[in-house]
Amino acid sequence: MSETSNKVEGKRWYTVLAPEQFDRAEIGETVAEEPNQVVGRTIETTQGEMEGDQGQNNSKLTFKINDVGSDAAYTEFIQYELTRDYLRSLVRRGASKVAATVTLLTTDDYRVKIQPVALTTQKADRSQEQAIRSVMVDIVEDAAEERTFEQLVDSVVEGRVSSAIYGEAKEIYPLRRVEVQKLSLEARPEEVEAEEEASVDVDEEDADLE
Amino acid sequence: MSESESTADGDKWGIAHVFASFNNTLITVTDATGAETVAKSSGGTVVKQNRDEASPYAAMQMAEAVVDDVKAAGIGGVHVRVRGPGGNETKSPGPGAQATIRALARAGLEIGRIEDVTPLPHDGTRAAKKNRL
Repeated sequence: MSETSNKVEGKRWYTVLAPEQFDRAEIGETVAEEPNQVVGRTIETTQGEMEGDQGQNNSKLTFKINDVGSDAAYTEFIQYELTRDYLRSLVRRGASKVAATVTLLTTDDYRVKIQPVALTTQKADRSQEQAIRSVMVDIVEDAAEERTFEQLVDSVVEGRVSSAIYGEAKEIYPLRRVEVQKLSLEARPEEVEAEEEASVDVDEEDADLE
Repeated sequence: MSESESTADGDKWGIAHVFASFNNTLITVTDATGAETVAKSSGGTVVKQNRDEASPYAAMQMAEAVVDDVKAAGIGGVHVRVRGPGGNETKSPGPGAQATIRALARAGLEIGRIEDVTPLPHDGTRAAKKNRL
């Protein structure tokens, strides 16, 4: 009925595989006429699906295809995110939600944005919220300082970062739950390097003006 | 899994994007990346009256029509992404959403995750006067 359906002949299916970090698991399949059309597509799965247990479907992992073989497509990790309904279920009336956004560089020069959230049991004061937020930022920054991109992603996905935050921030105010609501890849080492080179040029121009 | 079409082995997963507003329902089934459209349908293909385009009945007819194409493409199950108008309009999906999912399941597609992907503004444009508090 739709004109798209009869064109499927002549197209090939590619099996999309996760990066090595996630054991090259099969994530799904995609169709295309030309292999290079497949590059750049993104595919989303849940954590539960990757690890094969149904209890953990609160977080989504997004992968981007960056290489194609004859019938397989290889991906890189680009985003980790809590599902919207799970995050909404955590937010309660009369309790505080403390969120922070941290952009940082890992040891292997990937630029990553991490957004932790903490949910308290009761309404916290502004000063307490600020204290919790500064703890979150510190822990995330420390975590990135000594980890590569892969290790950082791993510790966020496994929930080690959020439990570290929970452990320290619960001294400030009773917490119900701490999560990392989003982790996204902002720039790869090459892109970071290119930006740094570009930024030097700007500095020189500024110097000329003075 | 599937018994009908010629090439159907029906082991692949796709995504059913369901846009349900109060004036129409759009169903688009794609592969797992969302880049390749397998089948699509909208209210106008099954009903005459414009006001019926968003009805649950139209949604059922559309879903049934879509399922044939989907199975022919070898897709046996779909994850569903439901979406209402969003933005500064209503955030909740219209009447066609429920019916579509039901009909897809009835027609023999396996239903995986169901997710709401309504676009929500982090404070966008000013709402219409009737929607302002």
